Amino acid sequence: MPLRSSEIRVAVVFGPGMKIRPVWFDLDRRQHTILQITNAWRDKKGDTAFMHFHVTDEGALYELVYNMSDASWKLEQIEVL
Amino acid sequence: MERVIMHIDMNAFFASVEQQSNPALRGKPIAVTGSNQRTVILTASYEARAFGVKTGLTTWEARQKCPGLILVPTNNRLYTHVSSQIMKILLDYTPLVEVFSIDEAFLDISGSVTLFGGLERISYLIKSRIRARFGITCSIGIAPNKLLAKLASEMKKPDGLTIIREEDIPRTLEHMPIGELCGIGRKLAARLALYSIRTCGELGRYPLERLEKRFRLVGEKLHLMGLGIDDSPVVPSEEAEEVKSVGHSMTLKQDIRERVDILRFLLQLSEMVGRRARRYGVWGKTVHLTVRYADFSTIGKQESQPTHINLSDDIYRAAARVLDNLELQQPIRLLGIRLTCLQYQTSQLPLFPEEQARLKLTEAMDRVNNRHGDFTVMFASLLDQESMGSHVISPAWRPEGIRNVAVT
Repeated sequence: MPLRSSEIRVAVVFGPGMKIRPVWFDLDRRQHTILQITNAWRDKKGDTAFMHFHVTDEGALYELVYNMSDASWKLEQIEVL
Repeated sequence: MERVIMHIDMNAFFASVEQQSNPALRGKPIAVTGSNQRTVILTASYEARAFGVKTGLTTWEARQKCPGLILVPTNNRLYTHVSSQIMKILLDYTPLVEVFSIDEAFLDISGSVTLFGGLERISYLIKSRIRARFGITCSIGIAPNKLLAKLASEMKKPDGLTIIREEDIPRTLEHMPIGELCGIGRKLAARLALYSIRTCGELGRYPLERLEKRFRLVGEKLHLMGLGIDDSPVVPSEEAEEVKSVGHSMTLKQDIRERVDILRFLLQLSEMVGRRARRYGVWGKTVHLTVRYADFSTIGKQESQPTHINLSDDIYRAAARVLDNLELQQPIRLLGIRLTCLQYQTSQLPLFPEEQARLKLTEAMDRVNNRHGDFTVMFASLLDQESMGSHVISPAWRPEGIRNVAVT
């Protein structure tokens, strides 16, 4: 399973009740529209809380990770479907 | 190293596969039914379950509960294909995958959980890949052993993830009804209830000596189950015990009683058993015939052969002899043939020209059928049979090896 971990630009809808919904992200100079959020969960490393989102576009599964302390996004993984 | 066992259970598997393969069915109450006229509900989508539709109901009963229910005939080939693909995904996370049934598997992830970033991450990775590729949700249970992992996966459905850690075991089991444990069925639960054992906590505390006295050999096993102890390993298919028999059975569309009709089904079953035995290079010394009557009573009789056999007509002749030694009491609803006392080595080549010709003929038939599908070339007396082949996915079905039965 190919792994990458890099800072990434993500467009997000913040809803009531701390709801976060990623809508699209940039990767390799291309905008990828998120078709489905297959899973989402939270974890913590030290004091920092992270939200993990497994999302799909038309061809792959990605893991986007939101760092709740500094509001940054990382792309953790790509899996071609 | 602490054991970490994962149990994966696909939610409403057959119905989910159908909804995924036909978008018009998504979000609707559907039920998958058997392929013949005696049909019952095999599984129902969660939308249908909300109306009380469940496995085992007749289609009439199901429609009473849910008038808008969409009935979909079973498509076993599709389900076994999707299951095989899912089991392949699981092998990306550990080589220790035990296929428990078409929609369930155990994984020993003790050695790989850290590689994938922890229990939650590995679970969500698997769930996401299955969902993204097949549109199917699954429930995952993680625990220190198979017994508790299976229990955990049942605790949150659909699309659940439940982790039972070592320190959570007593609290989880204390009020858990014993019937929730895999291996304790309704009859056993009722017997245990006679001794006021209704929860796992009560089972674990019940004196071992008394359990052994009342339940003999299973007494100790029950005691351990009550305590949440299970040392059984996750056994991948390549390490599984050798198969001890090759068999097929079929429930007939209508009850039959005429010898000529029975023989026609026996020939079909013999070909199915023989084909599978030959594909995996096994020969059997005993042919066992199972007959189930219309009232569901079942009888079986077997005959030992002078040599090990696996040619369909040899199996058929033996089964026909067994049939002729049975005194049939009622019309028959199910027939089954099993080849047992298996030998896994090459049989002696036939010496006589007639035997050699028979072997060559069978090999030629197998080659054609392997290439173009089962029963492409068949015995002439089967020509007017409506549908041939296996229509039921046995609990023993596995994605590979001799237990991989092709279904239609």
